[in-house]
Formats: sequence, C-alpha cells, structure tokens
Amino acid sequence: MIEVKELTKTYKVGSDVIKAVDHVDLEVGKGEFISILGHSGSGKTTLLSLMGGLTRPDSGTVRIDGTDIWAISDDELSDLRNRKINFIYQFSSLVPTLNVIENVLLPTAFSRDRDEGYYDFAMELLDLVGIREKEHSYPAQLSGGQQRRAAIARAFINRPEIILADEPTGDLDEETEAEIMALFRRMNEEKGITFVIVTHSSDLASQTKKRYRMSNGVLKEAE
Amino acid sequence: MKKINLNYIARKNIRRKFFRSMAIVIAVTVVAATLFSVTTVMDSVETSIKKGTARLGADIMVVPQEAEAKAKTALLAGEPSTFYMDRSIEEKVRKVEGVKSVASQIFLQTAKYKCCDVSDMLLIGFDPEHDFTIMPWLSRELSRPLGTGEIIMGRGLTAYDIGSKITFYGKDFEVVGMLEETGMKFIDNSVFMPFEALEKLAEESRHKKGVKAADLPLNKVSTILVQVEPEISPARVAIFIEHDIPGVKAIVSEEVISSVRKQLFILLRSILSISLILWIMALLLIGVVFSMIVNERQREIGLLRAMGARKGNIFRLIMTEASILSIAGGITGVAIGGAFLYAFKGFIRSSLNIPYLWPSAFEMSILVLFCLFLSFITGVAAALYPAIKSMRMEPYEAIRRGE
Repeated sequence: MIEVKELTKTYKVGSDVIKAVDHVDLEVGKGEFISILGHSGSGKTTLLSLMGGLTRPDSGTVRIDGTDIWAISDDELSDLRNRKINFIYQFSSLVPTLNVIENVLLPTAFSRDRDEGYYDFAMELLDLVGIREKEHSYPAQLSGGQQRRAAIARAFINRPEIILADEPTGDLDEETEAEIMALFRRMNEEKGITFVIVTHSSDLASQTKKRYRMSNGVLKEAE
Repeated sequence: MKKINLNYIARKNIRRKFFRSMAIVIAVTVVAATLFSVTTVMDSVETSIKKGTARLGADIMVVPQEAEAKAKTALLAGEPSTFYMDRSIEEKVRKVEGVKSVASQIFLQTAKYKCCDVSDMLLIGFDPEHDFTIMPWLSRELSRPLGTGEIIMGRGLTAYDIGSKITFYGKDFEVVGMLEETGMKFIDNSVFMPFEALEKLAEESRHKKGVKAADLPLNKVSTILVQVEPEISPARVAIFIEHDIPGVKAIVSEEVISSVRKQLFILLRSILSISLILWIMALLLIGVVFSMIVNERQREIGLLRAMGARKGNIFRLIMTEASILSIAGGITGVAIGGAFLYAFKGFIRSSLNIPYLWPSAFEMSILVLFCLFLSFITGVAAALYPAIKSMRMEPYEAIRRGE
C-alpha cells in the first residue's frame, strides 16, 4: 500500500542543514494500524507529510499502491490525496466560516465524483463521532474535543484508504482520547482503512498493532 | 444539502470579514461611480454632437471668416448669433472641387419688443430648393411643403408643441412640426422656416407700427452647408474652399466633434485624473487586502490542498472572492453614478454649455457593461498576484507557516 524508500528531507536553518528525515525505509500494508513514536523535532511530522504528498523529498521515493507520488503531476497528486488519503491534525483544522456539516463535506468540493449521498454519509459520520446534534454549529461554538471529532468525521467523508494522523489526540482528555482511538480501531477493522499515527505518547503508540520509533530523522522499528 | 462548491466557500469567506470586504466593495464603487459618470457625460456629448451634425447633414459649414468663433458658439452652445456674407458665395462654393451639394441658411435673432413676441430665439431661414437639413425630414414627416405662417421647431423649445401659436416681429406663426432632440442647442432651440417666409417677415416688420424692424440684410446668407463627394475627404474640400474663396471659413463637422471632445477632455481632465488615481489606489488596496487574506489563510489553504484541492481550485477560490466583491462594487458604483447623473442632469447640461443628450438605452447598456467589466478587471487584476502566490504554496509549508 505505502512503500517508502531512502526518503530524505533536509531543512536549512541559518547556515546549518538539518536532516529532518534521513534515508527512511518503511512499508505499510493495506489495513495496517501503525504508530511512529518520537519526540518533538524528531522528524515524524515531516515524514507523515512526505508520505501524504504534502512536501517534496530531497531524495527517495514514496509509492502508494505502486504509484510514485512524486513522479506524477501536481493535479494527479491532488486527486490521489482526495481519493485515497486523508489527514488528521493535532490543531483545530476546521474552516471557521463553515459550520460542522459543511466542514465535514469540504473534501467533496474537490472530488471529481458526483454527489453520492455525501450528506447522508456525513450525518452518519457525525453520528459515529457523537456530535450529530452539532451539525449546524460553527467551530467557535464547539469545544476542542468536538472540533477534533468533526475533523475526524471529515477525514472519512471521501472514504479514504489511508489516514495519516499527526498527534490526533494531543491536548485532549483521556476519555476523549480513548473514544477516538476506539473509533480508529473500529474504522480499521470494519472498513480496512490503513492508519499511520505519529505521536509522542507511548501510551497511544502502545494501542497500535505495529510501532516505529523516530529519532533525529532516523526511523527504526520499536521493540 | 448537495455537495458544497468553491463559489459557496468564497461567499462564506467574504462574509467572514464583512468590514474588510466592504472596504473593497467601496473602493470599487468609488472608481465605478466616477468612471460611469465621466464616460456617460462624454458619451452624451459625443452622441449629441454626432446626432446634431447628422441632423445638420453637412460635412462642412462655410461662414464668414471673422464669424468662426461666433458660428462655433452658435453651433455648440446654441447662443443665438447672427453673421452674414454675400449670397453670391453660394455659387462659388458650388463650383469648388469635391463639393456635391450646397444649401444656404440665414439667421435672424428674435427681439422682445411687444408683449407677446419671443426674444433670444434663433430663426433659421432655409432654401427649400437645395436644403438637406429640414427638407428630408419635412418630406418624411409632413409630406408637404410648409405653408404661409407655418414653422418647424427644435425639440428643445419645450414650451411649445405642434399646433402652438407664436409671434415673431408682430407676425403670427403656427408650429407644424418638431424635430427630434439632438442635444445641440443650435438645432434644438431654433425655429426653421423657408427663406421667403423669413424675408417676408422682415419686410413686413419694417412697415408695422409698434413692431421693431427685423434687421435682416438683403441678398445675404449666414452659413452655407456643404456635402462633399464620397471619394474626397471633407477636410480637403474645406482647404479648397478657403483657398478659392477669400474671406470665408470652412468648418469641418468632424473637426467640430473632435474639438468638442478635446474641450470636454480639458473640462473633465481633473475628474479623469482623480478617477485614475482612485483606480490605482483601488488596485493597491485590493492587492494589499488579498495579500493579507492569503497570509492569514495560509494554514487553511494548506489544509484544502491536503484534502485534495488542486492548485487551480485555490486560484479559483481567491479569484471568485475578488470577482464577487469587484462586481458588487461595480454594480453599486454604476447605480450611484447613474443616480448622480439623473439628479444633476440639469446642472451638468447647463454648466458644460456644450451639446448634451442622454445616451440611448443601448448605449447606456454598453456603458454599464463597460464599467462592470472594468470593475471586474480591477478586482481580478489586483487579486491576481496573491492568488498565484497562494496557489504556489507547498501544502506542508502553508500549514506550518500558518500555525
């Protein structure tokens, strides 16, 4: 499903060159549920962005279902993201001018598909994340947990095959964290969605089936 | 609820920062209102001059050399004015190379003497045998020659209508026709009658008691209207006329139009300069505001790209917002400009003191479309760079920078 080979990404900070991702190799099979554990600045977010086609690597390849995502055009990559990949972030990623249902439906605005009952599906997803009654609320009217739930519902609207989650439960209480992780596991088991979760939390990482550790841009399989 | 689209997101974004959006709308409104007013005034004057000269039907107007300024004032500002030259000049003009047809007119200014005489009106005597100003209209609208005591009036003399009675130099006349409005006071505010009738009026005034004698010299004409052959330019024929006949000035209609255009441009130059400055300011303002918008929304733009928005989608989103705001400003500006012109039309007409005719519905539609198009272009051009910048941002960088 996802095949990462010799992936390297460097940044220049003043006169220093920092290797955020250093010759990383990784294979994630369809329906896997993995985590990448690492401290802040270890390069895990950069790796996730490289895997999702959000930033171009200096060298190496990322293949999704055999397609080298950095060898295709920008439009093709956008379409691929829209069809197959979705992201969940640590921060509030909702558009403030759109209400909850509009935010959930947002990725469909860029979809090439016709309307395939997206609204009903969006309501189903809101039901699933437990904020159906907040359909018409705006982000500013929601708590942090509710905003994250809305963002998670949005991540599933295009029926993606891969979810790349960056600290998806960061700054949430334990109860909400447990609910979200339970939802991820359910989506993984029932729908076969592949999950790659990056986190600094060992507890959270321990809930995934396979764990990796990242330090100074180098990725290793965890014990 | 259907799938949401880019237009919907753009509309929502506009509402997000209402006052900032309003600032853009107001900037475009000011530009559109000024531009619409100025172009409408210019178009009104040009339309009027074209219509007036077409009504006159002459390519060239021959007048006494010393009366050039008077003739132009009479023609453009409609100031009643009289000047005369020898009638024999008509035949000389007829013989000039390139001249197709010639028709003379003689002017007589009315004088207030008796209670019911009308003053400061220009009576124009025309030659029914050769005339091409009144006769084509007469044969089309009246289908008969003018009878004794019958006159035709310009549409600007609003106090009168067909059937009205009017007295000049103690003689009663009946209005039997009103020419269509041209905006040129020379035609709109004048009274037309055949040469013979005018000469008879002058002759009778000399013998009437209690009536001021009309000062109309014998065997004289005021102007000789000339139509030229199609293969030769009026300007060339005018040169021939002035060369062949000493003491006359040949005024070319096209030159009158262009001189009015120049005159008007000088009058409106300051307004046009202000319009230009306003336009540049609006461009800068919209450009700066959209740069701010793009900077503020970096993370949002990155997130949209992560969701699968193509570069083109982001470009379209920014441009749609700019288009909606600029067209809204354009519509408001045209409405305000139109209301201003309508409210002050009398003042504009009198202060410009040049021919002025409200444009036709078709011309007005063109002007409205032109102003709306320019408003649209203003918004789109100003937002172009920020839109391209936003489109080119790498999604990950945009998300990180927006944090």
